[in-house]
Amino acid sequence: MTENKNIVEKISIKKLDFYYGNSRALKQVTLPLYQNMVTAFIGPSGCGKSTLLRVLNRMYDLYPNQHAEGEVLFEGENILVPGLDLNLLRARIGMVFQKPTPFPMTIYENISFGIKLYESLPKSEMDGRVEDSLRRAAIWDEVKDKLGQSGLSLSGGQQQRLCIARTVAIRPDVILFDEPCSALDPISTAKIEELIDELKSEYTIVIVTHNMQQAARVSEKTAFMYLGELIEFDDTSKMFTSPGDKRTQDYITGRFG
Amino acid sequence: MVPTGVFQVNDTALQATQLKTALTFDKAKAVRGFRLPDATFRIVSRSAAVLVLIILTGVVVSLIHGSIPVFKAMGFEFFTSSSWNPVTERFSAGAAVFGTLVTSAIALLIAVPIGLGIAVFLTEICTPRLRRPIAIAIELLAGIPSIIYGIWGLFFLAPFLQVYVQPSLISAFEGIPILSTLFQGPPYGIGILTAGLVLAVMVLPFITSISRDVFETVPPVLKEAAYGMGCTTWEVVKNIVIPYTKSGVVGGIMLALGRALGETMAVTFVIGNAHKISGSLLAPGTSISANIANEFTEAVGDIYTSALIALGLILFVITFIVIALARLLLMRLNLRAGT
Amino acid sequence: MNALYRYRRTRNQVWMALSFISTIIGLGILTLILGGLFWKGISGFHSGLFTQMTPPPGGEGGLLNPIVGSLLMTFIGVLLGAPVGVMAGTYLAEYGDKSALASIVRFINDVLLSAPSIIIGLFVYQVMVAPLGHFSGFAGGVALALIVIPVVVRTTEDMLRLVPVPLREAASSLGMPRSFVIRKVVYRAARTGMVTGILLAVARVSGETAPLMFTALNNQFWSTDLSQPMASLPAVIFQFALSPYKDWQQLAWSGALLITLTVLTLSIVSRALTSSRT
Repeated sequence: MTENKNIVEKISIKKLDFYYGNSRALKQVTLPLYQNMVTAFIGPSGCGKSTLLRVLNRMYDLYPNQHAEGEVLFEGENILVPGLDLNLLRARIGMVFQKPTPFPMTIYENISFGIKLYESLPKSEMDGRVEDSLRRAAIWDEVKDKLGQSGLSLSGGQQQRLCIARTVAIRPDVILFDEPCSALDPISTAKIEELIDELKSEYTIVIVTHNMQQAARVSEKTAFMYLGELIEFDDTSKMFTSPGDKRTQDYITGRFG
Repeated sequence: MVPTGVFQVNDTALQATQLKTALTFDKAKAVRGFRLPDATFRIVSRSAAVLVLIILTGVVVSLIHGSIPVFKAMGFEFFTSSSWNPVTERFSAGAAVFGTLVTSAIALLIAVPIGLGIAVFLTEICTPRLRRPIAIAIELLAGIPSIIYGIWGLFFLAPFLQVYVQPSLISAFEGIPILSTLFQGPPYGIGILTAGLVLAVMVLPFITSISRDVFETVPPVLKEAAYGMGCTTWEVVKNIVIPYTKSGVVGGIMLALGRALGETMAVTFVIGNAHKISGSLLAPGTSISANIANEFTEAVGDIYTSALIALGLILFVITFIVIALARLLLMRLNLRAGT
Repeated sequence: MNALYRYRRTRNQVWMALSFISTIIGLGILTLILGGLFWKGISGFHSGLFTQMTPPPGGEGGLLNPIVGSLLMTFIGVLLGAPVGVMAGTYLAEYGDKSALASIVRFINDVLLSAPSIIIGLFVYQVMVAPLGHFSGFAGGVALALIVIPVVVRTTEDMLRLVPVPLREAASSLGMPRSFVIRKVVYRAARTGMVTGILLAVARVSGETAPLMFTALNNQFWSTDLSQPMASLPAVIFQFALSPYKDWQQLAWSGALLITLTVLTLSIVSRALTSSRT
């Protein structure tokens, strides 16, 4: 791991509390997320790692009775302020979900659709952007001959890479991965992990995973969460070799979770 | 479909940053463009929902408004008497309400046990291979327009009843108190009983398919537990299925009642259209909807028309109450199924 | 114990026999109805049925004008009713959800769904026919639209609710505003179901008689003028079946069979659409 590169704090989470109705799901979480690095959130289920991820693009806003307090600074701007344009925020902070979610349209349209939201491109340029996005998601070779087929016709792993291509296509700054491999087989998982490793040269990446080996493989920084609190945040290499907290150690060595 | 361009994915970090700044600006512009169509769509969809409310309000207001002349002319007598005389312009709802209630009662008395029987057969006894075809057939029949039942009642059921059933009913019950009154008079074929029977046939598929649906909401583990204790099918139905689905079944029956009360075409053909209340089920009568259907376009004079609209208002109030109760019961079942 | 067991077994057999008999009775009667309908209806099928006008008593004729009238008014009904129904259903599923307005609309819609259709006829008569002073095909179409709306509202809401939440979230995560998510992604995913809902609404109105009697009335002659009274199959069936003339009664049967075949076809197609999707 190269520690001498220019470290930029892309997102700063400060004293974040999150509530589902009256129940508090996150407690005073403070955490930096660095540009061009992969940060992994780990912890037992229900610990708040997915909740934290969904605060970052304010996905929780789709639902009533959920709200966040504190600050999340994205390039210095607090994204929790009311009246913030959520569409713009989400256009800049993309998300890949646990289960593949291809839209019910062709492979080509799955990609071009998002691009069309923000840019009106002539056909040839659009073709180029679609190919570029599919290449970045390492799926171009598998789908280039069937761009007109439904996105639902692909295998699970291919669907997930299609969703990554779709996210990449609109050129976000940050990509959030919410357990992207939990529904996939080991080979597809390996491909996605490889892809995440390539993508970090251009994006800030956050990944939620319940698979500790995966966190160790793909991330530079790891945050361990437990019962809504951030227990420990450090370099991944350090977390997995000499964790500072007893609970982190117990979790990593498989004593609970 | 296959793009022709050549691509290189090797921007330097600096270029990438510049590109992104420009892009962010463009995105902000694009996102501002979303606002108007987004708000428009939301407002249009909300307005459509409000329109549904307005329609119902409009129905109620127009019925009340149209009923005022006859209420003024007849006063409370409109509800208490059974006279209906267009010549003297004396109108009241008695005979029509009576016919509506009695035909619907006959329909439910016949259709509910048979419908529940079929539903039990389909969910508990029938082999899985026959289950789907029969259920589909019954659901298709539930969608057949009521005028078909009406015309069948007129040309097949009424003559059949007149020749084969009614004479024997009359002679069988002769001399027995009450029953002899219920089944007295010449066998016309058409009349209250025939209308009730046609209604029964019409609501039968409806009751069956709703009951089947609610029976299927019973969790299999509950039934398996009972069967595991050695219960017979009947005991499972009586002690598990029926208690569990009680509010749903009652709700379904009420919906069927709502249909029967408001049904026009199945009844109009066979009820006989006589404005009188008779003790005999074989006598011709009328119902609210048949009365309106037969006379509305021929009604002359404000009071006559108003009397028919007032009948409509009464029908609406009765069915509204029945349907509302039915929906509340079904909602309770759904709430439980949802948890 | 043995006696009790025998009693229980017998009781079970009696009830199950009754249930079986119910099924035989129910299916038997329904077969009789369909059988009678086909028997009477088919004998009246001839080439003139679709090319000739309704005849005067004793004359030769067909059902062309009521067929065209029914098609026209159904078309108007769907054209006016389906968009309102889809939009209101969208509100209930996507925007209103558990709000007070949505709960009231949902309840009122259920009431309209089961309300007697003759009431709709009276309502449209009061607000359109009486003020304008004449019956019209357009008023008939409006009455049918009022019957289409609740059916489409209900199916649209149900179908939209079947669209998985992650799909909506994924669309939102691209920065799409709510209305884009609904129009471009959710509608696409629910398309078949929504089409089914509209087909069912067509099936429902194609046999409706009561709402047309006081709005479109009827017309013995060829007319596609929407401002004039217009013939429809159900209205002609009603008139001809109750007439004393054999030819008219025969035409009523043929019309009844036509309607039934239409409704059955629509139901079967919509059923096939929904089952092929799952």
